[in-house]
This record gives sequence, C-alpha cells and structure tokens, in this order.
Amino acid sequence: MTARRRILQGFLTAAAVAVLSPFINLIGYFYRKEETSVRRQKIANLKELSPGSYIYFSYPATGDSKVDNDPFRQYVLIMTRDGQLRVYSRVCVHLWCLPAYIPTRGQMICPCHGSIYREEDGVAVDGPAAYQSYPTNALPMGRIEVDENGDIWMVGIEGRIGYGREWHALKPEDLVKKV
Amino acid sequence: MSYGSKTMRELISNLWKWTVDRLERTTIVVYKFTVPKQYVSPFGFLGTLTAIVFAILGVSGAFLMFYYRPDVELAYLSVQEIQEKVPFGFIMRNIHYHASNFMVFLAILHLYYQYFSGRYKIKNEVLWVTGIVLGVLTVLEAYTGYNLIMNQRALLAVNIGMGLTYSAPLLGPSVAPILLGGGLFDLVIRFYALHVFILPLIMLLLAAVHFPRALVIDFPIISAVVGVIFISAGLFPAELGIKFDLTRGIVEVPEWYLTAIYAFLRSGTERFTAGALLPLLFVILFLIVPFVDKSRKLSWRDRPFFTGLGIASIALIAITTVWGFYVDFTKETAFDQLYIEPTVFYGTIGLVTLASFYATYLYMSRMRRPTRPTPTKPVILSPRASANIILVLLVLIALAAAATFYTYSVNLPNHSMFYLGISFFLFGLLLHVYRHALYTGERLRAQREQRAETIAQ
Ligand code: FES
Repeated sequence: MTARRRILQGFLTAAAVAVLSPFINLIGYFYRKEETSVRRQKIANLKELSPGSYIYFSYPATGDSKVDNDPFRQYVLIMTRDGQLRVYSRVCVHLWCLPAYIPTRGQMICPCHGSIYREEDGVAVDGPAAYQSYPTNALPMGRIEVDENGDIWMVGIEGRIGYGREWHALKPEDLVKKV
Repeated sequence: MSYGSKTMRELISNLWKWTVDRLERTTIVVYKFTVPKQYVSPFGFLGTLTAIVFAILGVSGAFLMFYYRPDVELAYLSVQEIQEKVPFGFIMRNIHYHASNFMVFLAILHLYYQYFSGRYKIKNEVLWVTGIVLGVLTVLEAYTGYNLIMNQRALLAVNIGMGLTYSAPLLGPSVAPILLGGGLFDLVIRFYALHVFILPLIMLLLAAVHFPRALVIDFPIISAVVGVIFISAGLFPAELGIKFDLTRGIVEVPEWYLTAIYAFLRSGTERFTAGALLPLLFVILFLIVPFVDKSRKLSWRDRPFFTGLGIASIALIAITTVWGFYVDFTKETAFDQLYIEPTVFYGTIGLVTLASFYATYLYMSRMRRPTRPTPTKPVILSPRASANIILVLLVLIALAAAATFYTYSVNLPNHSMFYLGISFFLFGLLLHVYRHALYTGERLRAQREQRAETIAQ
C-alpha cells in the first residue's frame, strides 16, 4: 500500500468516526431522564409530622396517575418514634409487595411473606428479605433536604428499587440534610 | 403468443414456470428444498421443524397483537379478554403458548441430536455457534413473552430477571434501568418491544446464517407436529393465572424451561453466581465444544468423553428442572418451603455428573463393536391396501373435523383444539400413506416394465 493511500484511509476513518460520534448520546435514550438526574420534589412540612407519623407519596410525581401509581415510584416518609426523618422505597426487596409502616411497632411489615424492616435504617430484620445477602436486604432510601421553612424535599434515591441498598457504605442520617 | 385456446391447467403451469424463471434472480434459489419421497427420520430436520414452529408463533403472535395492550394494568385484562371474549381468541392464545413450548423443546432436541452425531465439526462451526445463540434467544423470547401477561407468574419472573441483572458485576446497575425504565409501566412496553420486534428480528437475521443450504420440508411430519401442538393445547390449556397484586404472596413457579435456574437461585447461593454464571457456563461449554473436540470422529461411540458430557448435561437439566418445580408445603414459611439445602443440591449435581460419565464409559467398554445393523424390512403396502387406509383416515378426519366444529359451537374450545390436533395428526398420517402409495406404485410400474422388457428380449 502506498503511503498516500494509507493517509487517505486514515482521513476516511477519521471522517466516519466524526460523523458517527454524536450517536454516543443515543445511550441516554434508553434511560428515563428522571432516573438519572436530581429532581427536587416537596413532600411535606415538618409541621404536619409528629413522631410515629408517616406519609405515602410517589416520586418523581408527574401528574399522570398511571405513572404515579406505579409501585416503583411509591415511597413513605416516616418520622420515627424518636423524631428522625426517613424516606424509604415501598417496594419490598423480596418479591416487590408494598410493606406498610406500623407506627406502634416502628417497623415496616410486608403483607406478602412477612418481611420486617426497621424504621431507623430500612434494614430487614425478619422474613425472607432478612435472609437475602447484603446489599439486597435493605430498602432503598430517599435523600431528603429540610429547608429553613421546615419544608421537606426529596432530592434523590440511594439504592436500587426492588433490589437493595449498600447500607454499610452510607449511614441513614447522611441522607438527611438541613439547608 | 395467445393463451386463448389453452386450458386453465396449462395456464397455471405456464404462470408457475414464468415465476420460477424469474426467481432465479432472487436469493431463494440458494436454498435447496427437498420434499422427501419416502419416510426419513425427523431427527435429521428438527431444525426445519423448529423454524416452522417459529413461523406459527410469528403469525399467531401478530394476531394476538390485535387485542393485547402493553399497559401495566390493562395487559392482564386484555389477555383475559382474548381468552374469554374474543371469538377464537382462546385458541389463538393457546396456539401461541403451546407453540412456544414446543419451539423450546424442539430446539433442545435439535441441539442434542446434532451434538451426539458430531455435526458441529468439520466446517459446521458457524452453524453450531449461531444455533446455540439462537437457542438462548429462543428462551429469552419465551421469557419476555410470558411476562407480558402481567400475572403473578410474570411478576415472579420479572423480579428474578431484574434481580439477576442488577446483581451483575460492572454492567448490571446500568443495564437494569434500561429494561425497567421508570417503573413497571415502562417495563411492560419495553418487554413488548423486545418480544414482538427486537428479539425476533435478531433471530431472523441469525437464522439466515444458521440455515444450511439444503432444507428438508416433510409435510407429513409437519402436519403431525402441528397436530401434537394442538392436542397438548387441548389437554393442557394455557392458564391465565392470578393478576399480579402487590398485597398478595406469589404462589407460582416459573415456566418449565426456567425452573432449572430457579432451583439454583433457591439453593441459597449468591444470586448472580447461581442464576446467571452457572447457566452461562453451560452455554459457554456448548459454544466451545467444536473448538475443543477437534477429532475427525463423528459418531458418539467414538467420542466417550463428549458423549459423557452430553449425557451429564441432559441429566443435570432434567434433575434441576424437576427440582425447580418442587415446593415443600410441609414447611411453614414461604421461605422454608422454597429453600433448597445447598449441600444436598450441589452434592446431587456432582454425583449425577460423575455417575453420567461413569455410566457412559462403562457402557462403551461393554459395548460390542457395532455390527452392521441388520436392515429392517420396510413394510410395503399394496396400492389397494394404501387406498383403503387413506379412505379410513379420510372418514376419521371428517369425524374429527365435525367434532372440532361441534365442540367449538357449544363453547368447549379446549375440546375443539384437541380434535383439531387429532385431525392434523391424522392428516399427517394420510400424507404419509399417500406418499408411500405413490412411491411403491412407481416402483411396481418400473418392475413391471423391466419384466416386460426381459420377456421381449
Ligand atoms: S414480597 Fe415482601 S416479604 Fe415477600
């Protein structure tokens, strides 16, 4: 092959790469934007809560009831009995049923096979979910911010819904920020 | 040139010739279709049969799309509508469902027949590798398909699938959201796209590479296979299951081609290892077989190690598949009912593997050198006997067809499917006897002519 020919081929390859490179952004098409970017959503105000109270809500809320009712968007905001704020995904990491928060026990209990999660860190302490190996034995948590007005905002998710959370890595109180 | 004076028959045959001439310009002539004049063992063309079942799935699936709604809440209801309200819907769904089972089953048979007869060797490596990939895609296609119903069984399967994807090292966490999207409402649409378009498209492209040039189209067997699909649909009609409900415990096991993986998952082993790595190991084993087994020997008799491996894999598939179905209801909690003691499970797997190899080697050492198989004398029916059998079959088919119509009209679609299957099966038999009659007739004529010639000399 002559040198000139090799140079021309190099140009051709470079041109092809240049033309095709923008398609790298195609990757983004396969993800819903809201799953990959931070989204602030107001959940409640501190005034509405007292120890042992809770609010179910969907995140990110869209106003489309089909989307908002999806189990993978169901969360619960809890003020634990000792006054801590926590947000958990409601999808049981066992087989995706929706556990309910029981204030008197300070636990979330799954109706399907009876997995029990602690209110303070969302880790399963009993039932099938508790037998699952780390990190698939804890509910994903919501990252929240509390502003000076006492408004509580959800700003992101820690963990994978319906799968688990690496709860050794981050303490639950690190996910609650005062701003 | 005028066709005016010619009869209809000639016109059609001219049109046919005209078309065939022009087909020379297309790729279709690359394939050599053979319609056997005599019975040949269906094991040799299991691939073609699998492809035909795939075509049946394509057609019935396309019709199901007329009513199916890929929506998290409506999906189940639309399948229920197809099953209970749409005329012929019950049968359409059952054709699709049972054909999918048969496709998986035929593909497995095809794999093992080719494996034991050493067909993956000697320039067939590409055929073999594409075949294995097609097999995996077939299972994925079936998996995405039964999830579309959004019943409890579907949710269990989706749950397991998502869990496995998430637990995959490196890629898992970024691949899983592609399947899941923003939640189940996205997932069902994405699975739908995969099931009806993306996966079948890939399969078709691979099949274009996988097809050898000579294809056997054997109508009697095809008809019989279609018959068996219908008969099994009539005997075991597909169930709708319970609509998924996130407040009720799932009491389900996966479809039979996935219970093996389910058994591994239930053995308390780390999720990804049990549910993905071990099955993958199995697939990889098959993928590399042609590159490891380099000998020029084809028959399973001359390859004891690979025969042993094949036997072991069959035994393992059978045992883990059955084990996956097993639920111990004497235990109290759902977890204990499903739990499989790993030492027992993996111990059994080890033992079965060893036993398979041992049995193979033992059999081979005891085996007498294969003497030439004494040719079995083929049954030859006189033309008259053939005609009588065909007549009897015709009457039976008419009865079966009448029963098909009658049971359909009194709203017993599963009985109707059963009789439909019977008539297809009998039709296959009729085609076979018909072919036999033509063939022996030809031979008799040839013999007679030869005799006449010798007498004349
Ligand atoms: S789904 Fe929650 S315990 Fe099984």
